[in-house]
Amino acid sequence: MAEKVPLKEGLFKESQDGGTLLGNRCTSCGKIFFPKAQICFECGHEELAEVQLSRRGILYSYTIGHMPSRHFMPPYAVGYVDLPEEVRVFAPLVTTELTPFAVGMKMDLVIEKLWEEGDKEIIGYRFKPV
Amino acid sequence: MREVAVLGVGQSQFGKFPQKSAEALGIEAAAAAVKDAGIRPKDLQVAYTSRLINAGMDSQKILKEVGITYIEMVNVENACAGGSTSVRGVWKDIAFGLYDAGIAIGVESITGSPFAGALLAASEDLEAELGLTMPALFAMIARRQMAECGATLEDFAHVSVKNHHHGCLNPMAQYKKEFTIEEVLNSRMICDPITLLQCCPNTDGAAAVVLCSMDVARKYTTKPVKIIGSALKSGHYKYCQKDLWISPFGAETANIAYEMAGVGPEDIDVVELHDAFAPEEILRYEDLGLCKRGEGVELLRSGATELGGRVPVNPSGGLLSLGHPLSASGVRVVAEIALQLRGQAGKRQVEGAKLGLAHMLGGVVTGLEGGACGIHILSR
Repeated sequence: MAEKVPLKEGLFKESQDGGTLLGNRCTSCGKIFFPKAQICFECGHEELAEVQLSRRGILYSYTIGHMPSRHFMPPYAVGYVDLPEEVRVFAPLVTTELTPFAVGMKMDLVIEKLWEEGDKEIIGYRFKPV
Repeated sequence: MREVAVLGVGQSQFGKFPQKSAEALGIEAAAAAVKDAGIRPKDLQVAYTSRLINAGMDSQKILKEVGITYIEMVNVENACAGGSTSVRGVWKDIAFGLYDAGIAIGVESITGSPFAGALLAASEDLEAELGLTMPALFAMIARRQMAECGATLEDFAHVSVKNHHHGCLNPMAQYKKEFTIEEVLNSRMICDPITLLQCCPNTDGAAAVVLCSMDVARKYTTKPVKIIGSALKSGHYKYCQKDLWISPFGAETANIAYEMAGVGPEDIDVVELHDAFAPEEILRYEDLGLCKRGEGVELLRSGATELGGRVPVNPSGGLLSLGHPLSASGVRVVAEIALQLRGQAGKRQVEGAKLGLAHMLGGVVTGLEGGACGIHILSR
């Protein structure tokens, strides 16, 4: 039974309805960051509160890679998804029968295995067309 | 701030040399620059060398073989803008009166290392882990260029055709081959829509420039080429970048250089810039103010940026055709502009060039708009 390890701690939260990305919000000016910021890059305030980001966003741009990346064999899709919190997230994308991808497509978050390292499964996030 | 002259330039052949060490390439370039300058090795007082892969004590290792030791030496890394960083380091030291003469070197040996072909962002970088590579980034930017600026696949291929045509005129170029638009578009797909012939190759090579104060320059030449503007800036937070295709820090670096030089983009006669991926050259025209934001495609289509046009861009063949030894390129573009201003650019000479701009970009870091942008403006 493979051990499931998150790609990075504190980046996302798994749940019954599909999980969410975890960012943080400045308690002074309200700016939201993903990944989390150590201090508010906008106003310099040092207190930020964790927030769960929206699961649905709009595909801002994408590409299909035909040469290997660090962990993914070609062909693989990646893109930027704009979330309502004014956060632009880079992520691998899930190819479904709704693709080819198009700028402006609605995309939903998926928390799933990204790759394996030895006997570990590395868990991370992708977006897939709605 | 004193005026700084470019006294000597040199570069190695650019290409794939897995059997040649980076040191050997660096020595070739440094020796050529010192010889071109006519200066004695021991008159150099400061050295900056940039290298990314397997870097370590490169100034010392290279310069000892050229007869230079016992001076201040600095080794720098700034991804593909490392060479610009080397040049700026020496420029700063001379401009602010610390030294009178120095050498800036950039060297990269890619094919001899397992890094070859990968073009990845820095290790442990979140987005690199998630599949971001250099071609993927520029492919996503290209898609926005198509959505927002009216850029077509043919426009992207056109940049490659132009720069490969220029490369045919450059004896140092890795690729001296003409291509058609069809050949570029039909070459192997790398990251949709960027094809193989729209990507710079893996290149080994080195470049070097000898800089000095005007007092020193006058001992060797009556018409020194001068650096009149220098700027180096790193990218701001990506969350501040609304449009992926608009690079605020690229444009701001250019503004700083133009202001220092006291010139505007309309005064520039020749440009060497970062064309690692064909689509981005169009955006660099805009960063440098050669045209308005969003109008880079029109400038390309007008023919203004090919040899014979109003402001030739990458007459050397650029990263696409001359090649891209990562840390060397930032030095190579300065060397190339100096050759142009001296009238020594052979078949790729831009007639009557008096003012030139050398630009290089480097680095992809999660959360930032970009790694580093280095710009030097030279005049005769």
